[in-house]
Amino acid sequence: MKILVTVKEVAEAEDDFDIDGLDIDERYLEFDLNEWDEYAIEEAVQIKEDGDDVEVVSVTIGPERAEETIRMGLAKGVDRAIRVWDDAFADVGMLDPKTKADVLSAVVEDEQPDLVLTGVQAGDDSFGATGVTLAETIDFEWGAVVNALDLDAGAGVASVHRELEGGIEELTDIELPAVLTIQTGINEPRYASLRGIRQAQSKPLDLHELDDLGLEESDLESPLSRTAMYEPESEGDATVFEGSAEETATELASLLRDVGVVEG
Amino acid sequence: MQLTDEQAAIQDLVHEFALEEIQPVASEADATEQFPEAIWDALGELDLLGMTVPEEYGGFDTDPVTYSIVNEELAYGTLAVATAVSVHCLATSCIASFGSEEQKERWLPEMAGGRPVGAFALSETGAGSNPAEMATTAEREGDRYVINGDKQWITNGERSDVVVLFAKTGPEEITQFVIPKETPGLSVGPPETKLGLRASDTTPLSFDDVEIPVENRLTPEGEGLRAALSILTGGRIAIASQSVGLAQSALDAAKSYVSEREQFGGPIADIQSVRHTIARMHAKTEAGRRLTRHAARTRRDPSADTPTAASTAKYVASENAMDVTNDALQLHGGYGYTTEFDVERLYRDARITTIYEGTSQIQQTVIARGVLDEG
Repeated sequence: MKILVTVKEVAEAEDDFDIDGLDIDERYLEFDLNEWDEYAIEEAVQIKEDGDDVEVVSVTIGPERAEETIRMGLAKGVDRAIRVWDDAFADVGMLDPKTKADVLSAVVEDEQPDLVLTGVQAGDDSFGATGVTLAETIDFEWGAVVNALDLDAGAGVASVHRELEGGIEELTDIELPAVLTIQTGINEPRYASLRGIRQAQSKPLDLHELDDLGLEESDLESPLSRTAMYEPESEGDATVFEGSAEETATELASLLRDVGVVEG
Repeated sequence: MQLTDEQAAIQDLVHEFALEEIQPVASEADATEQFPEAIWDALGELDLLGMTVPEEYGGFDTDPVTYSIVNEELAYGTLAVATAVSVHCLATSCIASFGSEEQKERWLPEMAGGRPVGAFALSETGAGSNPAEMATTAEREGDRYVINGDKQWITNGERSDVVVLFAKTGPEEITQFVIPKETPGLSVGPPETKLGLRASDTTPLSFDDVEIPVENRLTPEGEGLRAALSILTGGRIAIASQSVGLAQSALDAAKSYVSEREQFGGPIADIQSVRHTIARMHAKTEAGRRLTRHAARTRRDPSADTPTAASTAKYVASENAMDVTNDALQLHGGYGYTTEFDVERLYRDARITTIYEGTSQIQQTVIARGVLDEG
């Protein structure tokens, strides 16, 4: 069985930052593995550890800088990694979910995975749509916002819990091959071990350019483009109550009464 | 100061672990004087307790630079954990370097995973800076040694299960042994009440007619101390590294505080005297770090300069950690003097770094020897 995990390196801005053109000045950015993908990797590695003959492959669209993040996935148990990049990506700027799904579908065609795990969303652009769009593109079954997964590899069925609005959960069986978008909290992501880090240095991490995937620059034409970047004015103030639980509860209760949220 | 990809990844890992797992429990561990055992077990799972165990015995066998970085980052979490780890690693180093095949097989594979915990028993009440004055004896009786004496300041004193012991087998002969903690006659004294490093388990150990088989001798008779000198040099680099990590955590706490604390109509980070203090703290932390990395790199290919480099790093990094934690507390004003903020604990913790693993005065003696007598 083969599991493909889509992994993204995301930028996180410091509390104070400057904007440079259409982006946050890179001096104020820290790059790290997307939080949701961390859970997707853990889920895939746990399936590998529980099963026989399971291969976990990660795929990332990202520049060379992302290799450090990709290696962390390898250190946590991913068997090999694919990085998709081409100078054309740098020129395009913002990729919309459909364009990303088209690129990832070319990797799916090469790899023929039984299961694709993605994070529910990425912490930077928060589209929350790439996984499902990919499923539609490659004609896989899909389940979004999965917070529990029980895989019967023999029967080719994933029994999942899906988190719906309003605290409701849907329990459903999804036939493989499938794409599941993984929610945070589904597991407890491990730290890499020193041994894992050492092994990761020699695991395969292959670069695929557009040509390798049978794609052309025109395939990256995204209907979305960023037109402005600005920091919104903060509105309203937060009130922090300090003191014991009893004191703060009393203060909160009187505030709620004052603003008319509760009566009496 | 370029790190390899592997070293950089290990640094990231341990830094994240220190921030996410160690720092949140540090204050309570200090207040209750309880060593955080759950952290220890997690460190074992990350292979961080087998850093000085050879790979063939299940360890990770880190290079000196990696070992230094890990010590720095663990101390960024809390010094008590870093100290316990480095002492455990001193014990595994001794067993790996001097033990027989049988002793290595017996202890190292399990110690690499973290348990049994190791202790290192060199100091005594009357033998601190000068270990040659130790009074603990190991008398040969047939195929056994009988050990009598008292050891002082033993890190992991209560929680350890195996002790690397230094004892005299003759008037001027110091010899190294490995002793299972459960051996009859070996008892643990009451824990020390300390200014800082309060989560670290520090006790005396007493040996009252403790009998061990000859096979538990690690070094030939009389070669215990000389054999340990190179390992102690590594120990000094570890404490230097820990001093840097401790200083960095105080600097980061101060940076965050001065950016948020407002006086005179703005954050105090806008006031020049505060900015200069932060600059000085950064310079001192970085100076300690550079000397420590240099010492670690020297140790990778040891030469006659290695002990001087290690002592220089330990001396500067620990004295600077005292200055930096002191400045961090001062920048916090009255709040810094309370347990509400961590800098108070960091200040207390820093005080030990100029004392243990050779006082600043002993480091200066070693440095002067290198500069004046061996040039």
